[in-house]
Amino acid sequence: MPPTLTLHPLHRADGSATHTTPLFTILAAANGPLEVSRRDELPEEAAIEVNVRPCSGVGGPRERWMEGVITSLLKSLVLVNMYPRTLVQVTLQVTKEPGMGGLKRAVKDVALLAGLGNAAFAALVDAGVALGGTMVVGLGVAREGEVVVEPGEKELLGCGSVHAVAWGMRGEMLMAESAGRFGVEEWEGVAGRLRGDAMGAIKNDEEDGDDVMDGEVGQKEPWLRQALGESVRDAGAWRETG
Amino acid sequence: MATTSVLLPGEQIPPSDLPPTKKGTLTLGPNLRHLPPSTILTTTSGSLHTDPKKAALWIDAPHGRYQPSVGDLVVAQIHHGSTDTYHCALTPHTAYALLGQLAFEGANKKTRPKLESGDLVYARVKTASKWEDVEIECFNSSTGKADGLGPLKGGMVFNISPAFARRLMMGTDKEGRSKGGVVVLEEVGEKVKFEVAVGRNGRVWVDSGNVAATLVVGRLLMGCDEKGWSVEEQRREIETCLRPMF
Repeated sequence: MPPTLTLHPLHRADGSATHTTPLFTILAAANGPLEVSRRDELPEEAAIEVNVRPCSGVGGPRERWMEGVITSLLKSLVLVNMYPRTLVQVTLQVTKEPGMGGLKRAVKDVALLAGLGNAAFAALVDAGVALGGTMVVGLGVAREGEVVVEPGEKELLGCGSVHAVAWGMRGEMLMAESAGRFGVEEWEGVAGRLRGDAMGAIKNDEEDGDDVMDGEVGQKEPWLRQALGESVRDAGAWRETG
Repeated sequence: MATTSVLLPGEQIPPSDLPPTKKGTLTLGPNLRHLPPSTILTTTSGSLHTDPKKAALWIDAPHGRYQPSVGDLVVAQIHHGSTDTYHCALTPHTAYALLGQLAFEGANKKTRPKLESGDLVYARVKTASKWEDVEIECFNSSTGKADGLGPLKGGMVFNISPAFARRLMMGTDKEGRSKGGVVVLEEVGEKVKFEVAVGRNGRVWVDSGNVAATLVVGRLLMGCDEKGWSVEEQRREIETCLRPMF
């Protein structure tokens, strides 16, 4: 089942998105460009601030680490040179997490990173912040030699290793985080599979609809393109009726 | 105006979609960037619009913060004044725009409007650049005339989305139909007398001398923005809102 993405649930923020997978639901809000505090100001580019709020309680060192990973991921995507001496702020609130009986925190954190990355990206698109490209963060687990993408709670519990990999639209890797025991072949298997899925999520059906897909790509509908396109079409509906 | 499918951030505009040009130059509007020599990329998701007459193309993004650009009409709120400028807020949490204390019609050192913090002005963006502060002015600097700009007294301000503000300012076509698909101002204006100033920064100022009528106009505009009423729905809502007033 592909993730569900709802754009603009919060109307006071510049941009917002809700991202739901079988594991997590994340509400993201993006604001920017804003006035930046003197301490964080960069003379040539925009500063990016990411806040991760856990489902319950206040954040700790794990959330700070996730903020760091997402910040560097977004930095490679946002055209920071277009907004010098400003701030782009992204707030990510986890609103649903699985009941984590017997699940390692490291595994859970990597699984959460995939959702956080996708939600932050969708919120930035909704906020109209200038972006250099489109990306999809995929989540996969390696389990006794086989690869499971978009794992549920059950798959996550018995897995050998878990991998969150961000792929850009031109096939470049933007982020790779893993947890557990795995070898190079396993990692390559998961990353390659996630790359195919990421390309499938943003592929343009109208351009190559009749082409025969090469097995792994093209089985699923392009969920990211559909979700973003729907939001644009809703906003432009007045053109047709007016 | 031709509309094509939705583009994602970072996608290239196909050369077949570019408008034809005589001079060999294109005008790029919002949300597009040019990579030399001849690649045009989107920077956000939206639908591509082209104007063949002006050889212009732009991407309409549905949401997002207002970015000042030269010539925009805005409703600005004075935050504080200094010796020769007022510092005005266009959007929340961004750096203040500068408004010269003498940038009003017929203003000199003795006859200049005395504005307090919290006062509103209808102004035009004079300079906007990513490297320096935005400057706004309340008169046409080439003719010295106000052209409808200046301090806004009384009335109320309502927040709308920048995209809806753009629709409100599109005006009407030759047959008198609203190009932006919003008929609230025209239809209410036939029944109730009011003044309105629409700012591209997502603020609209309404004054009709009576609080009830001002609120009706403002709430109709905000409802139309948030709920995306069609022209028929707008007429129905106007009817239900105005009935108790007469």
